[in-house]
Amino acid sequence: MTSKPPFTKILVANRGEIAIRIMRACKELGIKTVAVYSEADANAQHVQLADEAVLLGSAAPKESYLNADALIRAALDSKADAIHPGYGFLSENAAFAAAVESANLTFIGPSPDSIRAMGDKAEAKIAMKEAGIPTVPGFEGLESNNDFKKAAKEIGYPVLIKASAGGGGKGMRVVNAESELSDAIESARSEALNSFGDERLLIEKYLADAHHIEFQIFGDKHGTLVHLFERECSVQRRHQKIIEETPSPLLTPELREQMGQAAVTASKAVNYFNAGTIEFIFDPTTSQYYFLEMNTRLQVEHPITELTAGIDLVQWQIRIAAGEKFPFAQNDFHQHGHAIECRVYAEDPANGFLPSTGSLLQFIEPHGPGIRVDSGFSTGSEVNHFYDPLLAKLIVHAENRDAAIQRMQTALSEFIVHGVVTNIDFMQAVMAHEDFANGKVSTRWVEKTLLSSSKLLDNRQHTLNGHLAVGLQNLIAAALADVVFVGSRSQSAVSNESDPFNPWKQTKSYRN
Amino acid sequence: MEADEELPKLTMKINFDTQTLEINPSGDNYVASVDGKTVSVQIVRVDTIHGRMDLLIDGERVTAYVSSDMAKRWVTINGHTMMLTKTSGAKQGVRHDHAGGLIAPMPGQVRSVSVSVGDIVKKGQTLLTMEAMKMEIRIQALKDGKVKSVFAAQGQTVEREQILIEMEE
Repeated sequence: MTSKPPFTKILVANRGEIAIRIMRACKELGIKTVAVYSEADANAQHVQLADEAVLLGSAAPKESYLNADALIRAALDSKADAIHPGYGFLSENAAFAAAVESANLTFIGPSPDSIRAMGDKAEAKIAMKEAGIPTVPGFEGLESNNDFKKAAKEIGYPVLIKASAGGGGKGMRVVNAESELSDAIESARSEALNSFGDERLLIEKYLADAHHIEFQIFGDKHGTLVHLFERECSVQRRHQKIIEETPSPLLTPELREQMGQAAVTASKAVNYFNAGTIEFIFDPTTSQYYFLEMNTRLQVEHPITELTAGIDLVQWQIRIAAGEKFPFAQNDFHQHGHAIECRVYAEDPANGFLPSTGSLLQFIEPHGPGIRVDSGFSTGSEVNHFYDPLLAKLIVHAENRDAAIQRMQTALSEFIVHGVVTNIDFMQAVMAHEDFANGKVSTRWVEKTLLSSSKLLDNRQHTLNGHLAVGLQNLIAAALADVVFVGSRSQSAVSNESDPFNPWKQTKSYRN
Repeated sequence: MEADEELPKLTMKINFDTQTLEINPSGDNYVASVDGKTVSVQIVRVDTIHGRMDLLIDGERVTAYVSSDMAKRWVTINGHTMMLTKTSGAKQGVRHDHAGGLIAPMPGQVRSVSVSVGDIVKKGQTLLTMEAMKMEIRIQALKDGKVKSVFAAQGQTVEREQILIEMEE
C-alpha cells in the first residue's frame, strides 16, 4: 500500500451495514469519513462511526438518501474529495455519477457511461448480443399487446415480462399462458412507470428451474480487468436473494473458466472499471448460461468473494477510483475454501416475507473462527418501514462446503434477535434441507418447496400445536424471566407497571 | 423489587396464549407444571445484560434468551425464537378478524386510494395501494361488494393490521 491515502475524506452516501463496511475500509486506508443521514436515522450506527455527519432531510428516501443535490452539497461543504454510493439508492444512477464528477468530486464506481450502458436492460441485452455473450431468447422494443402476443408465441410459454429500466424484481411478471398476458403487461407497465418513470418492457423465455450464478469482476482505469469467480445466488424470495455461496456447487472448472471469460468480455464491452457483477441465468439441465444483467456497483453479497478470493473489494474500489493501478492479474486469483452468506432480514416468512418493524429488544451477533457479521444495528436500534429491512449479513468461511454449512448452522443458532420477527429460523430450515445440501436449489425453490411445508415457517405455532417439549421450555423460560430479570436495568421498565398481568406485582403487594 | 430481595415463594399461575403454567417453589428450585406434566427447574446462571438464563429443566441444560415488551415475551432456545403473549387467563375470545375489513399486511404508507364509500367493487379490484420498504402492495377486494367505510387517506402512515377499508357484509 502506498503511504499516502488515496483520498483525504470520503462521503458515504448510504446507511446501515454497507455504510459501516465502507467507513471501516476508509479508516484502514487513513481516510476521514462523512456520514449522511435522514431524520429517522439520527441515532443510527453509521452516523456514530463516521468522523462527521450531515443531516440530509426527512425519513422518506426521496428527501434524504436519494436526494442527489443534498448529497453533493454535503460533500462539498464537508470538503470531502470523493463519494462512495454503496449499493441501492443512487449507486446505479448515471446522472448522479455524472453530477458528482461535475462537482469535481470522485465517484467511487464505474463511469457514468458504463452505468448508462448497463442500466437499461433492453439496451444492455442488445449490446451483449453484439459482444457475443449468450442471452435469454426474447425480444426488446415491442409496444403493442399484439406484438407481445406474437413474440410470446414464438418464444413459447412460460415467458417473463420485465421492465427495461428495471431491477430488484420490480415490473417483472411470469406469464404461463396467453390468457394472462395482457393483464401481466398492464400491471408490469404501471409498476415500471411508478418505480422507474419508464414503462418500456421486454419479453423473454422464462427458465423455470434455473439457477442464478453471477461473476464478480474488477478493473482499474488503466485497462486491467479480471473476474473474481462466481457467486451462486439461487435461494431467493420475491426475486430477491437471501442466501449466497461461493463456489457454486454446479460449476465445473471448464464452465467456470468459460463464464468468467464471458463476464470479462461483457464488462470490457462497456469499458468497465471498478467493481461490478455480471449476472447469469444458468440452466442445470443443459449447462447453458445466459447473460441476465450487470450490476454496476458493489453487491450486497461481496463478502463471500472477499473471503474466498482473498481481497478487500471496498479498499480496492477506493484505490482504483483514485487512479491507482490494480497490481494483480487473473492468474493471481484462486478460490480458497467455501463461503456462505445469509441475509438476516426483519421480515416474517409466515406472513409472506413481509417486513416486520419495531425496536430491537435484544441483538446478539454470533462470534467465532470463520464467522463475519456485517451489520448496522444493535440492541435498542429502531427498525422502521422506510428502508430495506436488512438487519445483518452473516457470512461464514470454511475449508469446504459441508464445513461451511455446519458453521452457518451453528452461527445462525447463536444469532439472537428479539423485537422484530426475522428470517433466521427460515434460513436454518434451508441450511438443513437436503435440496440445499445437494446444490439443487433453483430460484423458484423457496416458493415451490419450502413454502408448502408451513411448519418450517412459523415456530410460534409449535406451542399452539402442542409440541410440548419445545413449548414447555419456552413457557418456563418466559415465566422465570419475569422473576429473575426484575430490577435489572434493561427489563425494569416492563417488569411492573406496563405489564397488567404480572403476578409478581401482586406478590409484592401481599407482602407490603 | 430490590436485587438482593429473595425470589417470590408463592405458587404462581401464569398464562401465555392458550396455556397456563404453574410454578411452585421447591427448596432453592422450582417445580413447573402445565397440562398435568410436572418438571423440576433449577436456575443455574443469569445474565441480565443479554437476557440470558441457564436452566436445568428436568436435568436437561437449557440456555434461554428472553426479552419482554409489555405483555409479549420473546424467547430463544436452541436458536429457535418464539413470541409468547401473556394473558389475563380469561378464556380467549374468538379473534375478531374483521371479516368484512381489509387490513394492512405490513406497516407502510398509503400511496393511493381508488374507492370511496358506497362504491360497488368487483372481486380482485384494487382498492388501495401501499408502499413500504421499496415494495408496492395492492389491497384488493376479496369478493364482489359495496364499500362501507374507508379509513385511510393518501400519504397516511399505517400500522400492520390496521383496518384500511371495510366492506358491507
